[in-house]
Formats: sequence, structure tokens, C-alpha cells
Amino acid sequence: MKTHESPVDQFDAEALKELRPENQLGKTALVLAAVCIAGWFSNIVNGSPLLDALPGMLILYAMVIVGLVIGRLCPFYLPSVAWVSLVSIIATLPFFPGNSWIIARLAEVNFLAVVTPVLAYAGLALTGREFAMFKQTGWKLVIVALLVFTGTFIGSAVVAHIML
Amino acid sequence: MELKLLLDWRLHLTVIVTSMFAEWIGIVRIPLGPGTLLLLPLLYAFVIGVLFNPHLFSTMGKVIPKPVSNAAGPIILIAILPFIAKFGSTIGPAIEQIIAAGPALILQELGNLGTMLIALPFAVLVLKMGREAIGATYSIAREPNIAIISDRYGLRSPEGIGIMGVYVVGTMFGTLYFALMAGYIASLDILDIRALAMACGVGSGSMVAACTAALAEAVPASKDELLAFAGASNLLTYATGLYISLFIALPVTEWMYKRLKGSRQEVSHENS
Repeated sequence: MKTHESPVDQFDAEALKELRPENQLGKTALVLAAVCIAGWFSNIVNGSPLLDALPGMLILYAMVIVGLVIGRLCPFYLPSVAWVSLVSIIATLPFFPGNSWIIARLAEVNFLAVVTPVLAYAGLALTGREFAMFKQTGWKLVIVALLVFTGTFIGSAVVAHIML
Repeated sequence: MELKLLLDWRLHLTVIVTSMFAEWIGIVRIPLGPGTLLLLPLLYAFVIGVLFNPHLFSTMGKVIPKPVSNAAGPIILIAILPFIAKFGSTIGPAIEQIIAAGPALILQELGNLGTMLIALPFAVLVLKMGREAIGATYSIAREPNIAIISDRYGLRSPEGIGIMGVYVVGTMFGTLYFALMAGYIASLDILDIRALAMACGVGSGSMVAACTAALAEAVPASKDELLAFAGASNLLTYATGLYISLFIALPVTEWMYKRLKGSRQEVSHENS
């Protein structure tokens, strides 16, 4: 089983490395534009009309690109998500020039509407191998999930209780 | 991956139509006992995406050919980034509150590491799970945690399957489960009710709301205080959660997983 799967895994790992967003900035910039358009349309229903949300979507696009460029140039490795979130935190800090304008524009973009397309891509991207895997371990994941929730709740509560 | 496949118009158009339809259905709240079952558009989008998946239903290959479906995998990595940028922008403006919240709340965040303490040994030793257990137990499996797994291993890896499983369970039953658990533990009267309020902050927005509501129901007199503690804790979870999961939780889970796998192999050797 293991020897059977390893070439596939290896291929996946290599494909993943090749496709790390910061390693192919040109391609990423185009694909990012496509997914931003998907988010932009998804935002119409519970967010804002296209024109009102346009500056906010462009700001998000720019923040991602800036984060990826930093990740590319930086001598040590941090995942691109960490760079992007850092760029976004800094750009919205109270002393950052124009921060209130940025925050107001981003308010036109609904928090949940930007994630909806991501999950649609995720549903479309699953392969036969994953369906088989999920069928095999699905019920286990339900038990594990409930243990995860219990563990983190009690963990946090005990630490907080000791310090109060 | 070829750019032509990555930019295939059928893929992106399907995603747009799916997302708009999912958003149109909107958030559905189903009251169930003391809590609420909360269904979000992203859940419908995932389900509809799966229904259009050519690997599951071969007739869907006419809409989305298999190579295009395969191209959607790497796109997820990129699609999550605008959301991360939006997410960061909620933290910057609240930085003063976060600093004012103080060290007590910050240390309490370490309690988030409790996710893997019970769940990981159970998953590996009792359920005999493989590397899916790492993705499933290293965090509470909210969107930022998914982004980390997606970046590190890819969402189509075993770790990705693990976190998506917990994510789906959390989305469907998390709110209800948090409300039930918080109410029950508060009724046991072992832990300080304010500590429980801080612990409520570990979840996503709807989990926090349901959890705090259940506590407030148990101790109505201190409702405002409980809300403040839960709110500050939740803010902090958003601010630090990404970094704690990335730099502490994930390495610790990897380490524990290796130890657990190692001890299991030894046991099986002894038995044979």
C-alpha cells in the first residue's frame, strides 16, 4: 500500500513546491485575479454591489501581492499566509497612513463571502483518492473533531482558571 | 500546471455561480435543544462543488473535465490569500484592545494546545489513524488553520483531509456542541465561570456566541462580564492563533505524532 502510494505523494509534493504561490509570481498574479473576481461576485449577495466593493477587492489583491513579494525576497522561510496577514495587520494599524480609508473600503467586502468561493474550489478539486480516503476515515473524524473541541475548551479554561 | 488549465473559464464560472447561489441561500439557523445548528454559505458551496466534481460523478466531466478539476487543487492555495488579508485587517484596528487585554489572556491562549492532548493519542492509538490525525488535531480547524495546512501540506494531502473533516464537523455541529459543553461544564461548578468565558473565545464567531450565551444562561448575574472576557479572548485568538498554531501547535503535534507512532510500532513488535 505504502510503496504503491509513494510515487503519487512524491508527485504531489513536487507539484506543490512548484506551485508555491510566491515561487511563480507571474502565474499567481493571474490566478489571484481570477479568484478575486470570484470573491467579488460572491460578495454581491450579502456584501456590496460590484462598484462599491471594487476598491476593497483591489486593496486585498495588492496586500496579497505585497505579502508574496516579501515572502519571495525574504532570506528565511515563512508561509505566504503569515506574510499576507502581517502586511494586512500593519496596513490597518491606527498609525498607518490612510488606515481609516483602507478599513472603510474593506468594510464593503463581506468576511464570509470571500471564503465561499474557496470552499467551492475545494469541493471541485477533490480526487477519487480523497473520496476513498474520506469514506474510510469519515466517522473517525467526527469523533476526533468532538475531542478536539472538548480538549481546547477545557485546556483554555484550566489555564485561565489557574491564573485568575 | 498549465496556465490554460488554471484560468479555465468553466472552472471559475462554476465557482462564481456556486458561490452566488450559496450566498443567496444565506445563513440558516436551526434551533436544536439548548443550542443552534448554524449552516453557513461556505458549507453549501463545498457541497455543491463536490456535486460538480467529475471524479465523483463522471457525467460532470462535461462541465468540468478531470484535468480542470485537478487544476483547482493549487488554486485553493491562492484563493485563501485574499481572505487572509481581510482577516488581518480586523486585527490592526483593535491592536490597543489586544494589548490592554493583558498577559493573563495571552497565556490562556496556550490552552488552545489542548486540541491535540486528548484527540491525538485517541486518533492514533485507538482509531489507528495516519497523518490525517495531524491535520485533524493540531488546531480547532478554523479558516486560518486551514490556510496553514494548505500552505504546508496542501489540502489534498492526508493532513488536508483531516483538517477539512474537522472543519466540516465544526461548521455543522460546532456551535451546538460548544453550547452544550459550556453549559454542562458550568453546571459542574468546578472551574471559575470567567475562565470558561475566556475558553469560549477559542472558537469561531458563532461558536463564541453560542458558548457565551450558554454560560450567561447558567449565571445570568455576570452576563456582561462574561461577554467582555469571551470577546477579548476571541480577539486574541484571531490575533495570535495563526502564529501559535504555526510555530507551536503544528511542530508539537508532529513531534507527538512521531512518538505515538513509534510507541505503537514497539507494542506491535512485542505482541508478535
